[in-house]
Amino acid sequence: MPQAPEVSIAAAPEGGYPVLEEGLRPAAASAPTFKHSRLQRLADRWAHLGFLICSLLVVVLIGGILYFLATRGLAAFLPLAGNTGRALSFSEVFLSADWAPSSDRFGILPFIAGSLGVTGLALLIAAPAGVLTGVFIAKMAPAWMRNLMRQVMDLLVGIPSVVYGIFGLTVVLPLVSRTWLADAPASGFAVSALILAVMIVPTIVSLSTDAFESLPAALDEGAQALGSSRWQAIWRVLIPAARPRLLTATVLGLGRAIGEAMAVQMVIGNNPQWMALMRESTDRAPFLRALFTPAATLTTELVQELPNTAAGSTWNNVLFAMGLLLYLLTMVLILATRRLGRGKEA
Amino acid sequence: MKIRFMAQAILAGLFVAGAAQAQTVTVMGSTALGPIVKKAAEDYMKSHPGVQIAVSGGGSMTGLNQVTSGGCHIGISDVFATPDQEKAGIKNHNIVVQPFTLIAHPGVGVKNLSAQQAEQIFTGKVGNWQEVGGQNRKIVRVIRPESSGTRAVQKKTILHDQEFAKDVLIQDSTGAVVTAVATTPGAVSFVELEHLEKNKNRIAGIAYNGVACSNESVKSGKYPVFSFGHAYTNPAKLGDPKVKQAVEDFLAYILSPAFQQNVLKAGYLPVDYVKSLKTKL
Repeated sequence: MPQAPEVSIAAAPEGGYPVLEEGLRPAAASAPTFKHSRLQRLADRWAHLGFLICSLLVVVLIGGILYFLATRGLAAFLPLAGNTGRALSFSEVFLSADWAPSSDRFGILPFIAGSLGVTGLALLIAAPAGVLTGVFIAKMAPAWMRNLMRQVMDLLVGIPSVVYGIFGLTVVLPLVSRTWLADAPASGFAVSALILAVMIVPTIVSLSTDAFESLPAALDEGAQALGSSRWQAIWRVLIPAARPRLLTATVLGLGRAIGEAMAVQMVIGNNPQWMALMRESTDRAPFLRALFTPAATLTTELVQELPNTAAGSTWNNVLFAMGLLLYLLTMVLILATRRLGRGKEA
Repeated sequence: MKIRFMAQAILAGLFVAGAAQAQTVTVMGSTALGPIVKKAAEDYMKSHPGVQIAVSGGGSMTGLNQVTSGGCHIGISDVFATPDQEKAGIKNHNIVVQPFTLIAHPGVGVKNLSAQQAEQIFTGKVGNWQEVGGQNRKIVRVIRPESSGTRAVQKKTILHDQEFAKDVLIQDSTGAVVTAVATTPGAVSFVELEHLEKNKNRIAGIAYNGVACSNESVKSGKYPVFSFGHAYTNPAKLGDPKVKQAVEDFLAYILSPAFQQNVLKAGYLPVDYVKSLKTKL
């Protein structure tokens, strides 16, 4: 088609560019439609290849990490050739609270319970605080404050976790210990959860602010027009309407909390024997005591022991199994997030 | 095409010439021993221009794993090799002595512990400083993770191979231990002597059986709590006799009187301070 119109990039024809059929290609090529030089076309092709490789690399990397974790982690349970240690049963690893690797006992229940406990507590603090701050920023705050709050939240997200950890170790722990515990050490779930909560609040706030801002104004206005108070409009209309996205925000915060190692490691006390200690304790308020008992989580134990254990030993393999468990937990959380995110259209 | 080929040939030639000229010895392992071995390597390379010594970290276990599998020539470690690794035929060289001391929060009111008291504190039989002559304050035991070399030394020397109490605070590094002890009233722990000397204003040293830890008390044999820094080689995997020669020569240099004087400055003691003493570590 020699009479092909000059097509400029700026003005695309209605309905997009005409699709060239395979047979028409030579004609189209001879037509002076786009005057790309040979060099440009070459660069395009290479760029295309580059992008493809990059995106494939990400997929390969994620798959590779899973494969690596799975082979090393499952080696703890299989009598493999490269294994210098013995093969364990699932129950003595996942259902036992007795962790003493140098004495050949590998119960990781204290770490699983520790991770879930500290994350749950952190969420208990951070989710209500985050969502309510989100409502405030989106629906109540004056414009200048909204801008300020948004910037502060972005800043908080960017602070490295080790800084939160140092703050916890040098400020919060001594303060709590002096104020409420008569100088007894404050390491444990309470302070760890508090630090984690501070870390994940910004994530929850940012996402829930977005959630409330994306709601149609008609919802709020309608509720108020029907005579509901500010509180009723928020509690009965806005929060239910934003619920799927609020859940997504919470789950993302949860994901960040459960994977956090550095900050928790510095304040939790890292004691793998905490469950045994609790069982032996004769305290009349065991729950309160548990809050201030040095404990350990999956991540803190990995950080502490992995660099110092011999590759291929049972100990090392069990640590990889813990890593695999964390990976799978995070995957489940991400899948849950997508599920919840999809729920918002319904 | 021709130019390319020539360039390749020249590069390959350089490579071969370089390889023939310099023997490269790789050292991996303990980050605690790394600095002193690096210093030895720098000094050694000055007097031996034909030898390249590359020191990298990774941790004691990495060093032991790598030297066992032939991944490096020398594996440096704070701890002894595992029985499996010893079966593979790796050979131990004690290169430095590392003295350890008990430390506590300055307010505990105790300056000395007998061997029995120290053992009972860490196994959990004693829970209050009052029971060992100090203030009425709960004892907070701060220790290192199970895989740590310091903890292994402590278990062997102070606890005589008994289990640690369940009620403990665990800190990842010696620095974190010092911070925890300094900020927690009633805390007690166990660190390398140099960390006490660097933090004298924050933490208090505790004498063991009436003897304070010092270079002199270790040398005189009065103070029994110390360990060796190890350098392991794997004679079966050294292969090239020139490399083997370089490795042996370098280890001999570390143990030479001239270099052993340097280790004092780095917080270690020369090996011959304790040559006459019998120790399991």
